[in-house]
Amino acid sequence: MNNKLQNYMDRPKRYDNIDGSGEIYMGLMFLGFGLLNYLQTVLPKDSLWSTNGFASLLFMYLILIPVLALGFWGVKAIKKHITWPRTGYVAYGAGGSDAKARKSFWAVMVAVAVFAAVIAAGLAWVVALERRHLGAVMFLGGVGYAGYLAFWVPLYAFWIWRMRGGHPWKWLVLLFMALGLLVIGLTGPGNFIEGARPVMLFVGLVWVISGGATLYLYIRHTKPPAPEAE
Amino acid sequence: MNEQLRAISELDRVIHEPGRLMIVALLGVVKECDFLYLLHETEMNKGNLSSHLARLEEAGYVEIEKTYRGKVPMTLLRLKPAGRAAFDEYRKGLKAAF
Repeated sequence: MNNKLQNYMDRPKRYDNIDGSGEIYMGLMFLGFGLLNYLQTVLPKDSLWSTNGFASLLFMYLILIPVLALGFWGVKAIKKHITWPRTGYVAYGAGGSDAKARKSFWAVMVAVAVFAAVIAAGLAWVVALERRHLGAVMFLGGVGYAGYLAFWVPLYAFWIWRMRGGHPWKWLVLLFMALGLLVIGLTGPGNFIEGARPVMLFVGLVWVISGGATLYLYIRHTKPPAPEAE
Repeated sequence: MNEQLRAISELDRVIHEPGRLMIVALLGVVKECDFLYLLHETEMNKGNLSSHLARLEEAGYVEIEKTYRGKVPMTLLRLKPAGRAAFDEYRKGLKAAF
């Protein structure tokens, strides 16, 4: 009975992404990093933005801050104008001990790392089959890159699991993401620096589209209650 | 009386009622929420939810604040420290009982 109670007590956490806003925010963040990465490559190598440490930092903030602000205020607007009037307002922050939250965080991080390592090994094997002439150093680089590619799959799997049965179609999105990353791994640049760009854009787009679909379904299936006394 | 039976008989009856247990379990993990959220999560009707909340307020477990969001009336609900302590005790008792 205590387990059922604990499961019930997890509902407010799941409610946080009932409208897909969390996914949209994460996706925008990944897109921001991908965009920054692309813009840095088109900058002339001898420009102030590339050679001066302070200016390059400023350039990073000039790109990232508007994207993150868009995500932050966008999520706030979704909550204020769509979610709270339909299914209610929740403020988080109290309840549950900090120690427990920290323990859960590290447990998740370890699980994601282990799962990513397993997928990375599989991906590295596939990539090695594809590029049989790789030397040992390049092979190790490939393994690192495969690890980077694989990281995104358990991360998204954890996100879906956290929602527990809310949207079973998201497992298909996960499959699509895994296949997409495999294709990028097989056809892309094959190293971390250049490979990170298409990966960030792809993963960011998948998160944003999946969050957008969740938001659409949420709006379609809920409506604000008629105003009356409580 | 054996220990298991004592643990069952000592469960807080205010919280033990299923409707109120749902409310306290939800309020226990958030800072605050509104009436509409509890209505959505507990799937109770407004009358039932109101009467359970009134009982919890009477026991000193829940704080109810009537306010406005813009021009829309809003009822904010929070679990008081006494309510949190009672819920922790209830969970311990439940564990001991089963």
